[in-house]
Amino acid sequence: MKKTLALTAFLLGAALAGPANNSLVIGTSQEPPNIYDPWNTNNLAITSEINGYMGAALIGLDDDGEPYADIATRVPSIANGDYKVVKNAAGDVVRNSVTYTIRKDAKWSDGTAIKVADFQFWHRLVNDDRVPVPDRDPWSRAKIAVNDADTFTITYDPPYLFADQTSPGLAPSHIMSAAWTAFDTKTKNEKDAKVVNEEWKKFISSYTTARSLPKVVAGPFKPTAWRSGNSLTMTRNANYWLQPKNPENYVQNITYRFIPNTNTLKVNILSGQLDAVSAVGLTFDQGVDLTRTERGKYKTYFVPGAVWEHIDINTRGQKAKDLDLDDPRMRQALLYAIDRDALTKALFQGRQAVSNSWVNPISKLYKKDVNDYNYNQARAKQLFAALGWTAGSDGILQKGGKKLSLNFGTTAGNTVRERVQQILQAQWKQVGVQVNIQNYPSSVFFGPDFLSKGQEGKWDLAMYAWTGNPIFEEGNLFKGEGIPTAANGYAGQNNAGWNNAEFNRLHKQAQVEFNLSERIKLFDRMQTVWNTEVPSLPLYYRVNVYTKVPGLVNYTFSAYTLYPSWNSAKIGWASKGAVEEYKQK
Amino acid sequence: MGTYALRRVIQMIPLLFVISLLIFMLTALQPGDPVDQLVFGNSNITADDIARLKAAYGLDQPWFTRYFFWLKQAVVGNFGYSQDFGIPALDFVFRDRLPNTLLLTVPALVISTLIAVPLGIFSAVRQYSLPDYVLTFFAFLAVSAPVFWVGALALYFFAVFLPGATGGVLSLPPGGLGSADLAPDAGWWATTLDKLKYLILPMMILMLREIAVTLRFMRANMLETLTQDYVRTARAKGLGDRRVLYKHALRNAVTPIVTLLGLSIPGLFGGAVITETVFSWPGMGKAILDALVSKDFNVVMTCLMLLALLTVIFQLLTDLAYGLVDPRVRYS
Repeated sequence: MKKTLALTAFLLGAALAGPANNSLVIGTSQEPPNIYDPWNTNNLAITSEINGYMGAALIGLDDDGEPYADIATRVPSIANGDYKVVKNAAGDVVRNSVTYTIRKDAKWSDGTAIKVADFQFWHRLVNDDRVPVPDRDPWSRAKIAVNDADTFTITYDPPYLFADQTSPGLAPSHIMSAAWTAFDTKTKNEKDAKVVNEEWKKFISSYTTARSLPKVVAGPFKPTAWRSGNSLTMTRNANYWLQPKNPENYVQNITYRFIPNTNTLKVNILSGQLDAVSAVGLTFDQGVDLTRTERGKYKTYFVPGAVWEHIDINTRGQKAKDLDLDDPRMRQALLYAIDRDALTKALFQGRQAVSNSWVNPISKLYKKDVNDYNYNQARAKQLFAALGWTAGSDGILQKGGKKLSLNFGTTAGNTVRERVQQILQAQWKQVGVQVNIQNYPSSVFFGPDFLSKGQEGKWDLAMYAWTGNPIFEEGNLFKGEGIPTAANGYAGQNNAGWNNAEFNRLHKQAQVEFNLSERIKLFDRMQTVWNTEVPSLPLYYRVNVYTKVPGLVNYTFSAYTLYPSWNSAKIGWASKGAVEEYKQK
Repeated sequence: MGTYALRRVIQMIPLLFVISLLIFMLTALQPGDPVDQLVFGNSNITADDIARLKAAYGLDQPWFTRYFFWLKQAVVGNFGYSQDFGIPALDFVFRDRLPNTLLLTVPALVISTLIAVPLGIFSAVRQYSLPDYVLTFFAFLAVSAPVFWVGALALYFFAVFLPGATGGVLSLPPGGLGSADLAPDAGWWATTLDKLKYLILPMMILMLREIAVTLRFMRANMLETLTQDYVRTARAKGLGDRRVLYKHALRNAVTPIVTLLGLSIPGLFGGAVITETVFSWPGMGKAILDALVSKDFNVVMTCLMLLALLTVIFQLLTDLAYGLVDPRVRYS
């Protein structure tokens, strides 16, 4: 009987996660298409997160948004002379440049020294038409000049606003350049883009897939096994230079488990199979559920993120004119008519703060004291009346024989958004606005024929999200030039179609204002204008939900770092002697 | 029979061509493409970038041009690269996903058939007895209960509740393909044993439904056969129950099961999308669904063409097998 029980336990018993062998098991709901592709030809969040364990950069950002030197010997600044801004006689910045010196001990995981050639190789390819990088900003305007064996200067002309806060990528030229030369020879005269693309895939897949893991990496961990559809394991890279004191006290192996179904991911947390969850994993609701069953086995965190949820109001086309959506008073009325505080309390336990600007609240550019549009039905009704809208016999506002009836769309199947829609629909109904919910699959909603075609009256209200990076904020979302039109190939992102002369002027100034305090002033005014005109109804900045077990230290992230992999060299178990440097805020 | 089989094989070629054209057209005409996903959310992207990416992926051309490019490559065995996984679509399907699916579905079908056929016969022979009611009720319940619900319950019970109740002695893994802490160089035996642990739950859930369906089917066939004149005649001649059942009734009752199994086999390759999703089992069903959502054309085409090919082949084999089990069927 005992033998049978022991055999059963062996067969059925699942390995428990934990610090026993100084390893870490992380659950995530997505699997990356590839890893450590130096040119980031896919832009999935999970790819960025996992690459964080294996990658290194000249300059990194910590959880507080402060830059630190990684491959570089120091953080470039005007004060230390590594960052230079060149102005013309009129005082306008015409170009800027950053000089980096590579640390002597910076090595690839195979022990080869990281050289300027690795940055040059990366830069050459990122600007090659055959490499399908999504965008080349700012690298297409950058030139690299070699100063000596370990020092180079990158010059941006026209100047790049965030030159001192970003840095060019790198690729292992000693590993990849021979294959690249072969690719180059094979495709130099090839006219058919599809053939070139197939060759590119052959080239890049030799270094980035489950079948062909990266040969070398620069970061704290190197990949050792990738079981497609199941897990990816990484091992500590002994050649990484920014090791904590006593690196053996910190996590030695990290395994990502790919669990696409988030309910199954939840069961994995409850059953103790996971030490932590990725930033790409749980939904908000699941996070709330998990807080109820913690019992000291794990802790749930809600981290203020960089994703801004909002409702665009279509100001373009005849229908928008008929419904006064192109009039700021109508948009203000719609905002006054909804109780966003009650909404976030009801749905998110108040954990997702109401926003009144598109700028991330943790950004230095964020303006706190704009109008907060607190719920005020009386004010909303006043504004409707001022525009000539009066209640009909059915209670719906009307003007000139037309009802104030709006189509409200979002991505179908997103239960949180669908619940928000229903609450808002009920609140607008109270002030006489009829809202018809019409949702679409993501592929349609974000496809080429919906959001960007506001001119054709395809929608009135559209709820979706943008990433609001607290560092690289340029104010592009609402610039007039960003209105998607046939002329610009529908490439802009100002789907609301709002075009404000003052905002556009300020935005242009801000784009070339290299003095932060002056930029803050410009953004202050931009946010005031935006907040008065409300081309979009701001809802809230989303939080990221994750869990981790007690005793796991330095597994943290913020809206600056986005992923817990930013500080992976220092992730460890307190019980193994790992020292806590960062607490989750 | 040989001439008939050859004629059917020749007919497959235009049929597969039409199927490939239809699949490609329907996939291509869906709204959105892989570039949209790269573009959305990137505030730096320009019209030139979009045009460059569309050209690189061949998405600037009409769907039929792309179809003929795909066809030209496919006939020489090149099914292109998976957009989502960066590896050849054939490798992705045949090396990464199909083995996982077959590991799950084949044993599930074989074991459930071996269980369900005798149970169906037993249930039919003892019609309206307590065991018959129990089996019929079980089959009804198993067919009706949604897989995602039963799967979620099973996951919670075996991976959370049971370990809690037994102090971790008894448990099953909560989905996936293998242990996270299994060494990459673990031997065949350790890897197999590990995979077996992960296979138990999804296979159980899959078998539950398979058993129910086959049991009901077998019971109905057997009941129908037992009312036939020749069975009555055999009984009237004084033959024993066992001899009537196994010598006269069984073969005719089992014949439709051949059709059922024959037509189930292509489905085995298609995977079990809900079971695979609930248990995070990376098989074909999940791969097809994900590829359709993410517009990974090459994977969609490879998977669906494989299923189409298997369907027509097994349809032919089923028809031929019919001739073997039923002497009245002749192909001339």
